[in-house]
Amino acid sequence: MAQYDLTSKISQNLDRHLVAPLLEFIAGQNIYNQQEVLQSKLDLLVETKMVDYAIDVFKKLHPEKEIPPKFMEKRTKVVEEYKSVQESSKPITAILESAELAEQISNSRDYRQLVEYLAKAHNFKPEMIDSIYDYAKLYYECGDYSTASQYLNLHNELVPSSDKNYLSGLWGKLACNILLHQWEYGLEDFEKLKTFIDEDPFRNALQTLQQRTWLLHWGLYLYFNHTKGWDFLLDLLSNNAKYLNVIQTTCPHILRYWATAVIISKHSRHSSAMKELVAVIQQETYTYKDPITEFIKCLHVNFDFDGAQQKLKECERVLSNDFFLISCYNDFIDHARLMIFETFCRIHQCISIGMLAEKLDMTTDEAERWIVNLIRNARLDAKLDSKLGHVVMGTSKISPYQQIIGKTEFLNMRSQVLANSVARKLGDKSSYQIF
Amino acid sequence: MSKFYAQGSGSESSGSSSEDDDNEAPVPSKPIPAGKQTVYISDDDEEDSGKRVVRSAKEKRYEEMLGHVKKIKNFKKNNDMSNILDCFEDLIKAHQKALPVIVKEENGSTPLFYLKTLGQMENYVNQQWENKKNMSKINSKCLATLRQKLRKYNKDFEEELLKYRDNPELLDDDDDDLEEKQEARDESGSESEGEKKEKKLKKPSTKKPKDDNESDDSIDWGSDSDESSSSSDEDYADIRSKFLKKTTDKDDAKEKKKADRDKRMQRKKLAKDDDLDDGEGWSVVTGGAQVERPKMFPKDSEINTPAVIKKLAEITAIRGKKGTDRREQIDLLNELETIASAHALGPAVQVKIGFAIVAALFDYSLKVHELQKVQYWIKLIDKINELLNLAIAHKDMKIDENVPEDSEEMEKSPYRVRSCLMTVFERMDEEFLKVLKELDSHSFEYVERVQDERRICEMLERLLTYIISNHLAEDKGIMCRAYYKKIEHMYYKFDVRVLKKKRGEYNGETSVDEMQRLAGYIYAFDTTDRLRTRSILCHIYHHALHDNWFEARDLILMSHLQEVIQHSDPTTQIMYNRAMVQLGICAFRHESVLDSHNCLADLMMSGRVKELLAQGLMPQHRHDRSPEQEKIERSRQVPFHMQLSLDVIECVYLVSAMLIEVPYIAEHEFDAKRRPISKTFYHQLRTLEKQSLTGPAESMREHVVASARHMKKGDWRKCYNALVNEKMDRKVWHYFAIYEYTKDEKQFGVKEMLRRKIREESLRTYLFTYSNVYDSVSIPRLAEMYEMEFQQVHSVVAKMIINQELAASMDEPTKTVVLHRTEPTRLQCMLLQLSDKVNILRETSDRTFETKLQGGPGTMGPGSKGRQFNRMDWKNRRPNQPRGDHHNRGDRDHNRGGDRDHNRGDRNRGDREHNNRDRENQREVVAH
Repeated sequence: MAQYDLTSKISQNLDRHLVAPLLEFIAGQNIYNQQEVLQSKLDLLVETKMVDYAIDVFKKLHPEKEIPPKFMEKRTKVVEEYKSVQESSKPITAILESAELAEQISNSRDYRQLVEYLAKAHNFKPEMIDSIYDYAKLYYECGDYSTASQYLNLHNELVPSSDKNYLSGLWGKLACNILLHQWEYGLEDFEKLKTFIDEDPFRNALQTLQQRTWLLHWGLYLYFNHTKGWDFLLDLLSNNAKYLNVIQTTCPHILRYWATAVIISKHSRHSSAMKELVAVIQQETYTYKDPITEFIKCLHVNFDFDGAQQKLKECERVLSNDFFLISCYNDFIDHARLMIFETFCRIHQCISIGMLAEKLDMTTDEAERWIVNLIRNARLDAKLDSKLGHVVMGTSKISPYQQIIGKTEFLNMRSQVLANSVARKLGDKSSYQIF
Repeated sequence: MSKFYAQGSGSESSGSSSEDDDNEAPVPSKPIPAGKQTVYISDDDEEDSGKRVVRSAKEKRYEEMLGHVKKIKNFKKNNDMSNILDCFEDLIKAHQKALPVIVKEENGSTPLFYLKTLGQMENYVNQQWENKKNMSKINSKCLATLRQKLRKYNKDFEEELLKYRDNPELLDDDDDDLEEKQEARDESGSESEGEKKEKKLKKPSTKKPKDDNESDDSIDWGSDSDESSSSSDEDYADIRSKFLKKTTDKDDAKEKKKADRDKRMQRKKLAKDDDLDDGEGWSVVTGGAQVERPKMFPKDSEINTPAVIKKLAEITAIRGKKGTDRREQIDLLNELETIASAHALGPAVQVKIGFAIVAALFDYSLKVHELQKVQYWIKLIDKINELLNLAIAHKDMKIDENVPEDSEEMEKSPYRVRSCLMTVFERMDEEFLKVLKELDSHSFEYVERVQDERRICEMLERLLTYIISNHLAEDKGIMCRAYYKKIEHMYYKFDVRVLKKKRGEYNGETSVDEMQRLAGYIYAFDTTDRLRTRSILCHIYHHALHDNWFEARDLILMSHLQEVIQHSDPTTQIMYNRAMVQLGICAFRHESVLDSHNCLADLMMSGRVKELLAQGLMPQHRHDRSPEQEKIERSRQVPFHMQLSLDVIECVYLVSAMLIEVPYIAEHEFDAKRRPISKTFYHQLRTLEKQSLTGPAESMREHVVASARHMKKGDWRKCYNALVNEKMDRKVWHYFAIYEYTKDEKQFGVKEMLRRKIREESLRTYLFTYSNVYDSVSIPRLAEMYEMEFQQVHSVVAKMIINQELAASMDEPTKTVVLHRTEPTRLQCMLLQLSDKVNILRETSDRTFETKLQGGPGTMGPGSKGRQFNRMDWKNRRPNQPRGDHHNRGDRDHNRGGDRDHNRGDRNRGDREHNNRDRENQREVVAH
């Protein structure tokens, strides 16, 4: 199963703190050696200031060993630092606690006004803006995400987008909200970041690419946790050459998430997104493939239903081992089945239920019930022939009359538009009025 | 006295030859018979050739005048009046210029020859005047002008002229006499001026008075005049004493100096008077070259570094000037090199001279005759190799372009030499291609030369290590250039190891990795853009050649080159074409027929494949190109060993066109909107169908067309056999043999691919063509017919159903395809066609309206968008990739839904119009 695990690929593009939950998840999945997972977790944490957490992990990893003194040293140091910052950031905490701040933020037109207000009301000095950012960073590194988030919120309101810390602040805010499971706010931050990056302040294609890659990866938390997350991912990728480019050049593994999102998304937008996805998957087969993309390829390129069935089984395992996708496991299976069935129906006019059941990985009775449900919900134009055990599709022949109607439908309107424009061009008002 | 005389005329000849260069007057060197000339020169040699000859202002003027006289004489023979008139005017001007000199030196008496010319002219004009009627209009007009002018002008000289008219025999003298007379006059004139005007003057800074030849003389003179303003005479004396062997001269130094100064003053004056005559005017006298080669340095003079460098500067100073004998320069430099190496002056000097020789060789290459090219080339490559060895052997030497000229260090380590090995190497590479182009590509010599390629590569390798091991590695520009050269020598060569590696038979570095490394460096560090573009193209070519289809495709998509390539220089465009061709062939091997077609279509549609790939010139009927243009085009040609097989290209293109087009034709047999996807293929098909009798296929095209006809009937076996057989093997497919291999008893390669593809497309064609005959088709039977797996057939049919190409559906329990009989009746069919036609009519009127009245597209709302899309109809119908689409990775068109926009608009309006239309339609139906 490890071959389809993307943790290592994804974590390259994430913050340390964001990787921690991933590792936590992986540890419970039994696809890697537990010791190795713990070790990498330790390595991860050592670099942060979450010393207690690190010590915990160390204990788990080496139950028999003493905790090395460097941990304790670091711990005291961090605690000291934390305390001093807490002390010195009191005025800011005071500002944050003041009641009228939120009101003032929404009232003030831009950051200057806000800074002025703060200077007046809270004896705020402009130099403090940078220190707010620094404090926030420290809180974040120590794992105090909610405080960090508050600070960063304020910081974000106080600086112009040209500030050197603006971008980092945004990223920090996004990380905090993700780690606090504040998906709504996270989505806001995400949007802000996206617009900021799209404005292309870097003037450097490589850097823009890097930022977009990060954005795509960080967004993974949102796509599959927020209620409207899938649509959000689809919006981001459909018709957006910039992000498609990113996927193609740096991280084709995102295709898995895209594919999943397309499969489980609502039907209305299905076809166009699917077409796009199929094209990209076909193009990228040589760099990336996993059961999910192959499932789509089987179904939509080769119309190989047996193959699709096979892949779907593999998908189940992949999904249950993926940190992001595990939550939509059921949705995925349902929709994938439906998709197979739909495609099957479009091609066939008569299907035996037994075969269908096999293809859908159900028992015959289940399958029959399922189909009956579909027909009853008017999602399928078909009849069951229980004597032969067949499903007979309603045929949708296009009669020549319809064809001709289709062809001449707009003729009238168009020629009229033409006539209108001619008339307007000629300036003949009288003839114009006839229409 | 006689010596002076001889010298004088000798000087005149030398002077006049320089005049010759500047003025293009053919006169002066001619009149002196060859015999005389040699006599004078041997005279020079016998004597002390260090003596310097100089012409007085008078002589100079007279020569000019004489030149015109001579011209007039020539033109007289042709009765070319207009030219005579021009020359006459020039002559008058020249005389005007000469007047001060004449007044000064001849006491105002007009020179004899001048008077004589005037007299002759008058006679001539009078003579011509009588048979004026026989002349052309222009001539007679000119004659009239001339006559008038001459009369007017001659009035000034009436007296003197009269005197000479009395001696008519004078007027019949020929040129030589005239010349001699003039010389005689010169002599007497100079004599009357006294010793001061002596023409036998010493050269000021002679280094080798004994055996100098004329050419060196004049060089020195040239450089001397440059320095004269800055350095005093004493300096000269110093240098002279250094180089002068022994003054065997009769004249003593003082006199020389004086004469020297005199001469310079004169020269200055001359320069003022006549801008034609500046330092450069004193160039090589070719006459002296035949004589035995002179020594570079006097026998017992000290040869040290500055001396040699000085000498080198002298020799190279004339480089690029008119009339320089490049060959001789090379010889001189070679000699200098031997001297330098004999005296062990250190590597820097050697290198310096080496560079000079190489430069001279490059100059020489322009003039080298084709037959000598090879010889010259060998010389060149040897020399550069030697230079390279020297550079590598001496680590303490810095060879760099950025060393300023004055801070070169030749004598002691660390040496610093201003030059660039890379540039020289690049130039050599160019020469190499030139040499190859000169040779007949099928000859033995060509093969022999191509073997030099290896040597060049090896040299390049060494150069690279040299550059890397030296300071130069920091210079990214040079590294890029060097890497690019390497890429250029590598990209078209096939490396079998790459394919072996893919099959797991080989482990280790291949040229693909190497290429990646080199190109990666250039992508990262190149600042010129040109190198980058080219290395991308080479990289694509290389990938495509080695069957790395995806890498090659991604590279071209990411480079976005197809959008900007029109704006680049022709050579880059040629490279682009080559890369595209290679990419197309690679796509073909990878079964991406559509991509292959798209890659090659542009090229093939143009009908100028040969030209666009620079593999030969096409005869142009419509507009002839000028010789210069032809020369340029010729110089761009790709050498034979790098050329691509045109047959293969065309075959690949036609086959991919066939695989796309034949099912398409079958599908849209009665579609009014059908447009040919590949016009070239259509054309081939039609020409063969026109023939009343078709014999067995001979040429490659005939084979393809024959196979297409079989495919039309859905007969895949015949189709395949027509395409893949012994004849075609020999013509085309053997080029692909290298990519074929067997693994686990399964064949891989182009033929297998074709087999598969042909079966599939034949099946599609079959279904399209014969679906109206069937009510249902059994899939297993289809699978049997086409020797395909049941699954495959199922998949093909399913695809057709989904894409709504085939109105059918499958019946799973019986495993059949049930065709929906939507065959319209005759009337319905006609109506469908009619509605199509009406639509087309509407489109046309829309378009006409826009272009004629609106003055541009896009203003019309719905109509305009619809138009654009209909035009690219076939492309839209196919999923992912019309050409433009395909190449803009990520930027794909998503406007396919554009047609939907037509729904906009107000339906309530224009009922009346609608009725009219309907009536019209009815009428048309009746007409049908």
